[in-house]
Amino acid sequence: MAYFIVLPFFAVLLVVLQRTLLDLVFGGRIGIEVSLILVVWAGFHLDMLRGGVLAFFLGFLLDCLSGTIMGLTTFVYVMLFVLSSLLSPRVYGERMLFIMAYVFLCVMLEGLFIFAVYWFIYGTDVSESLLRTTLPQALVAGVLSPAVFTLFNRLGGGVYAGEAR
Amino acid sequence: MFKKYLAVIVAFILIAVSLVILSQSLRRPGSPGIMKKLVFEVTAPVERGIHSSVDSVGGAWKRYLFLVGLEEENRELRKTIAALQGEVNYYREMSLEGSRLRKVLALEDSTVYPTIAARVVGNEGSSPFRTILINRGSRDGVKDGLPVISPDGVVGRVIEASWNYAKILLVTDYNSNIDALVQGSRAQGILQGGGQRLSRLKYVQRTEEVKVGETVVTSGLGGMFPKGLMLGTVARADKKDPGLFQTIEVVPSVDFSKIEEVLVLQTEKE
Repeated sequence: MAYFIVLPFFAVLLVVLQRTLLDLVFGGRIGIEVSLILVVWAGFHLDMLRGGVLAFFLGFLLDCLSGTIMGLTTFVYVMLFVLSSLLSPRVYGERMLFIMAYVFLCVMLEGLFIFAVYWFIYGTDVSESLLRTTLPQALVAGVLSPAVFTLFNRLGGGVYAGEAR
Repeated sequence: MFKKYLAVIVAFILIAVSLVILSQSLRRPGSPGIMKKLVFEVTAPVERGIHSSVDSVGGAWKRYLFLVGLEEENRELRKTIAALQGEVNYYREMSLEGSRLRKVLALEDSTVYPTIAARVVGNEGSSPFRTILINRGSRDGVKDGLPVISPDGVVGRVIEASWNYAKILLVTDYNSNIDALVQGSRAQGILQGGGQRLSRLKYVQRTEEVKVGETVVTSGLGGMFPKGLMLGTVARADKKDPGLFQTIEVVPSVDFSKIEEVLVLQTEKE
C-alpha cells in the first residue's frame, strides 16, 4: 500500500527533475529520459500491477506536461513496460551490456512510434528528429542506464523494506 | 484462479485505457480534461520553484563573478533592440499594406489587442514535442487558441489552459501550422514547425519570387493570429524539387531556449 501512496509524489518529482535539472545538463538539446529507464527497470523488477500503474502514471504526467498528442507517451510507456515484463523471465536483466542495449532499443522504439503516428495520422515526416534527437537521446540513455538501474535497485529495495515493516 | 490471470487483466486494462486516451486525443485534439488541469496545477509550481532557483544561482554567478553591470546593461539593450525590431517590422508591414490599399480603401487603424503578461515556468528543450508552460491560466483570461508573442515575434498558441497555468504549442512544433506571408514578395503559405530543424513555409507557388533574408509574418488569415506579427526570416528558398510548390525554410525569430516572458494576446471578442 505504501508503494501506491509514494508513487504519485515520486513520479511527479522525477518528471519535474527530468524536465528541469536534467534538461539543463545538455543545454536542452539532448534529454535524459530517466522516466523511460525507470519503466524498463520496472518491467524487470516489479509485478504487473505496480509496474503497470507506474508506467501509466509517468507517461500520463509527461503527456500532460509536454506532449502535444495526449496518450502517446502513456501508450508507449505501458507497451514498453509490458514488453519488458514479458521478457524478464527469459533473460537475465542485470548484465550491464544487456541493460544498455535494451534501453537504447526502447528509446529508439519510442521515437519510431512517434514517427509512425506523425507519418500515418498527420502525414508529417519527422524522420530527421529521429536522427537529431532520438538517436543521441537513446545513446545517452543507454550509457547511463546501468547507473540508473543501480539507483532504482536501491530505491526499490527501500520501498519494499518499508512495506515489509 | 483470479490471481493467475491478474497480470494479464491488468496489462489488458492499462493498454486499453491508454489506447482510449490516445484515440480520443487524435479524434478531438486540444480538449482539456480535469486531470490535465490538476497535473498542471500540481507540477507547475514545483517546476517554477526549481527553475527560479536554477535561474537565480546562474544569474548570481554571471553577475558577481563576471562582468558586473555590463551583463545587465547588455540584457536591457538586447530587450530594447528586440522591441524596436518588432516595432520597425510592424510599421514596415503597415506601410506596405497602406501603400497597396490607399487607392482602394480607407483602412481603419489595426486593432490593438489587450495582452496578458506571463512568465515561462516550464521549458523542456529536449522533448520531441515543442511546448512550454506559462504561469497564467483561465483565471487570468487565458483561453485555448489565443496567440502568444514575445518582443522577437510569435511564440505559439495556447493549447491547454488550467486555472493558473497554460501550455503553449510553440511555432517550432510539428503540429504548428500558421498562415503566413513573405513580407517583400507577398507570397502566402503555411508555416509548419520543424522541431529541431528550421520551419518550413509550405504551399508557396513556384511562380513567386522569394529571396533569402526576407521577413515572414503572419497573414491574418485563419483568424487565430493578427496580421503582421513577426515569424522569422527566409533561410533557404529553392525550386529544385519537382511539383507545384517551392521549398522554403524559415529561421524562427524567437530563440526558444532563452525565452522567459511572453504576452498572450486576447484576440477573442467578448
